[in-house]
Amino acid sequence: MRGLQLPLTQTQKVRLQRALEKLEALLSKANSNASVTVADTIPVNYDDAFLKGHGTTEHNGEVVATVCGVVERVNKLIYVRTLRARYKPEVGDIIVGRVIEVAPKRWRLDINYSQDAVLMLSSINMPDGIQRRRTAEDELNMRSIFEENDVLCAEVRGFQHDGLHLQARSQKYGKLQRGQLLSIPPYIVKRQKQHWHYLEEYGIDLILGCNGFVWVGEHVETKDEMLVDQDKPESQTSKTNDYSMSLESREHTYTPLETRQNICRIANAIRVLSMLGFIVTIEVVMEVVNLGVSQNMDTHEMLGSEFCVLVAEREAERRSQKRTRGN
Amino acid sequence: MEYVSPEGLRIDGRRPMEMRKLQAEIGVVAKADGSAVFEMGNTKVIAAVYGPREVQNRSQQLSDQALVRCEYSMANFSTGDRMRKPKGDRRSTEISLVIRQTMEACILTQLMPRSQIDIYVQVLQADGGTRSACINAATLALADAGIPMRDFVTSCSAGYLNSTPLLDLNYVEDSAGGPDVTVGILPKLDKVTLLQMDAKLPLDIFENVMQLAVEGCKAIADYIREVLSENTKQLEYRRGL
Amino acid sequence: MNGLSLGEKLFIQGGIAQDLRSDGRKRLTYRPIYVETGIIPQANGSARVRMGGTDVIASVKAEIGRPSPVQPNKGKVSIYVDCSPTAAPMFEGRGAEELSTEVSVTLQRCLLGGKSGAGAGIDLSSLIVVEGKVCWDLYIDGLVVSSDGNLLDALSAAIKAALSNTGIPRVHVAAEASGEDQPELEISDEEFLQFDTSGVPVIVTLTKVGRHYIVDATSEEESETSSAVSVSINRKGLICGLTKRGGAGLDPSVILDMISVAKHVSEQLMDRLDSEISASTITCSIRQCHMWLGNVFKLLSSPATQIEEGM
Repeated sequence: MRGLQLPLTQTQKVRLQRALEKLEALLSKANSNASVTVADTIPVNYDDAFLKGHGTTEHNGEVVATVCGVVERVNKLIYVRTLRARYKPEVGDIIVGRVIEVAPKRWRLDINYSQDAVLMLSSINMPDGIQRRRTAEDELNMRSIFEENDVLCAEVRGFQHDGLHLQARSQKYGKLQRGQLLSIPPYIVKRQKQHWHYLEEYGIDLILGCNGFVWVGEHVETKDEMLVDQDKPESQTSKTNDYSMSLESREHTYTPLETRQNICRIANAIRVLSMLGFIVTIEVVMEVVNLGVSQNMDTHEMLGSEFCVLVAEREAERRSQKRTRGN
Repeated sequence: MEYVSPEGLRIDGRRPMEMRKLQAEIGVVAKADGSAVFEMGNTKVIAAVYGPREVQNRSQQLSDQALVRCEYSMANFSTGDRMRKPKGDRRSTEISLVIRQTMEACILTQLMPRSQIDIYVQVLQADGGTRSACINAATLALADAGIPMRDFVTSCSAGYLNSTPLLDLNYVEDSAGGPDVTVGILPKLDKVTLLQMDAKLPLDIFENVMQLAVEGCKAIADYIREVLSENTKQLEYRRGL
Repeated sequence: MNGLSLGEKLFIQGGIAQDLRSDGRKRLTYRPIYVETGIIPQANGSARVRMGGTDVIASVKAEIGRPSPVQPNKGKVSIYVDCSPTAAPMFEGRGAEELSTEVSVTLQRCLLGGKSGAGAGIDLSSLIVVEGKVCWDLYIDGLVVSSDGNLLDALSAAIKAALSNTGIPRVHVAAEASGEDQPELEISDEEFLQFDTSGVPVIVTLTKVGRHYIVDATSEEESETSSAVSVSINRKGLICGLTKRGGAGLDPSVILDMISVAKHVSEQLMDRLDSEISASTITCSIRQCHMWLGNVFKLLSSPATQIEEGM
C-alpha cells in the first residue's frame, strides 16, 4: 500500500481493510469499468463524432489509452484522467510555488509541473502599490521583492511561447511567510470555488494550491491599497533583515504557541489524508482536526497508526452518509 | 552438469517452459513521482521515476521532446560474491544505456517538450534475468508516474541447455555457458524493442527460443496489466468524488 | 529538495524553541520506526528500517578469510554504505560519494572502535575459527533507498537489526594443518550461530537549532542546523563513539549536555528497537516456517525424489 509505512497491529489492519472495502463498495456502483491501463482500448461508439483528448491516441482505428487512469466523457470529448501524475495547469488555477531562479525581468517557480513556471515582473503589484512602468531599477531590485526559495501564491495566467505564465495581481497573492508548506499529490486537491481559506477561530490561513502544494500559516492581514501611505513607516522598520536580529529579539517574533498548535494539527490532518489518498477539501480537513481533538490525541500522534485507521473509518461513514442523503 | 533432469525438471524444480514467481508492488519510494518493486523469483529490483521535470542541464534541453535519462546500479549485497563497485563499471553503463533506449521507444516524448524524465533502477538481489526485471520494474514505475506511453515494455529471457529451450534462466543456468536470449516487446503493438543474445545458436533453434521468450513477455504483460488496473481502481475509490 | 524560504526557516526555529515541531513532535520524540528483518534471503542477515520518510536496508554477509597478522585472534568487519539514486536525483553518478563516505566512516568509527580493535561494539574475537589462520570476514552493507533526514540513526538501527538476524554457519575443522597451510574446513549448511547483539550500540544524533537540541531531524530541519553531534551508546550506557558535524563551534559544556541528553534518549530508543526487532523476527520465522513447509511438500511430491528412493 502506497505510503502506509506504519506498523499496524492485526486488529488495526482488519479495521482498515474493512473501511477501505466499504469505500470501494460505495464507488463501484458509480463507475467501476471506467478505469483503464496503458494500451487498453477505450469503448467508444464509433458512429458518434467524438474528440480524442488527453491520454488517448489512435491505433489501428481504435482509441487506445496512453496512461493509467479513469475514462471521462464530457459532451463529445473523451479523455483519460490520470491519478498520480504531475500537476496539469488550467487557466485560473490558484497555485503555490517556490522561486527557483531570479532571471531578467522574471522569476522562475517550481510548481510540480513538467517545466518551471514564469512570473513576469510586470505581472505583480509593486510593493508601493502604484501602477507604473517597470524601470531598470525595478529590475535590479527584484530580489528585494522575491528571493530564491521564497514561497509565493499566484494564479495561472496561461501558456505562452516560453512556458507557463503566472500572475499575482491581487493583494492576496504574494509572498507567504510564517507557516509551513506541504506537498501532496495534485489529484486529491479538488478544484473548487475557494482555495484560499481563512480560519477565523484559529487565526490561520490555509491555501490549497491546485498543484498539490498546500500552505498552512499564520493569518496575514491583506492591506488595503488606499491605506498604503499610512502603513509605510511601519513597513519600513519591519523590513530589517531578520538575520541581523539577535536571538532574543528573534524569539519575540515567533508565532505564538496556540496558533502553532493549530497549524501543526491542520498540517498533520492534511498529511494523514494524503497518505490515505482521500480527497482534500476544507470540510474534510476540519473534520479530521476535530476528530483528533475529540480523541484527545497529541498532535504528533495524529501521524500514528491508530489515528490513520480512525480517519479511514470516519471517511467511510461520511461518504456513505452523503450517499444516503443524496439518494 | 545436468540442468534438465531426464524427467524434465530443472535445478529449482521448474518445468522448462515455466517462469519464476512474479511479484510487483507499486509506490515504494514516496518522494519519487513513480516507483515500483519487481521480483522474478529471487531477483528483486526497485525502480524510481522522477519527472517530467525541468531539465537540470540547459545544454541538454530538447525543444521538441522530453529527455530520458537512466541509471542502473547494483547493491553491494545483491550478488552471491560481494561486488566492489556498485556503479560506474562497464556492465552497469551498458545496461543503463539499454534500459534508456528501450524505455525511450515506448514513452511519448513529444508530449512533454523541454522536460526531463529520470529513471533510476536499483538491484537489491540478483539471481539471473536482472535486465528483464529492471525493464519490467521501469515500466511499472513509469505507468505509476502517469507518463504517457505507447504501450508497456515487458522483457523476459530464455536459454537453451541440454537440448531444451528454457524460459527465465536463473543465475546458475545463466552461468552454464549456454546461450541467453533477452527479448523486450510491446505486447499490444506486437513489436520487439530489445533483442540481445550471447553465445551461439543455430538459426532454427534460435527461432524457437525467441518465441518462448516472447511468450514469457506476454505472460508478464498480463500480470503487469492486472497489477496496474488494481492499483488504479484502489486509488480511484479511495479518492472518492 | 530545494532550500527553504526565510519565513519557513523562522517557523521551524520557532517551533523547536517552543517544543512543537512542524509535525507536532516534541524535541526528543522519534518518528514511528518500522523494522523488517530477513528481507534479503541471500545474505546471512538483513534488515530494513523505516523512520518516517527515511528508508534504509542493511545486509550482513559472512565469508571465510584470514585474520590480519597484527591481530591474529580477531575477525574482520567492514562497513560500507551506498546512497541509491532512487532516494534523490542528486545521488546519481558520483553525487552520493561524499555523503556515502562520510556515513560509512562514521559508522565504522562508532561500531568498530579504534585501530587496534579495542572497544568495538561487535565482539571481533567471536568471529575467529582457527586462531591465526581462519576467521570470518563480515561485510556489512547499507543502502539508502529513500532519504528524509537522520540517516545515521536509521542505518545504525538497521545494522543492529541485521546483526540480530545474522546466522553464522557452524564450522568444523576437518584436518589440522601445520605452518602456513590452511586447515580443511567443513561449513555446515544447517546449523547457525546467532550473533550476539547485546553489545551493539545505536547512534543518537542530536541536532542543534538555535538554543535547543532535537532528535530525529527531518531533512528540512537538517538544512537549518548549525551543528550536529552523533553519539553512539550501547545498552550499558557507555559511549562507543562520538562525531560532531557542522561548521559552527560549540561550547564544551553544551557538548556534555548533549551527551547526557543522548544517553537519556538512547534508552528509550533501544527499548523500542528491541521490541520492533523481536516483533519482526516472529513474523519472519512464521514466514520461514511456511516457506520450509512449502519446500518439503514440493520435494515430497516431485517425482525425482521417488525415483531416488527406489534406487
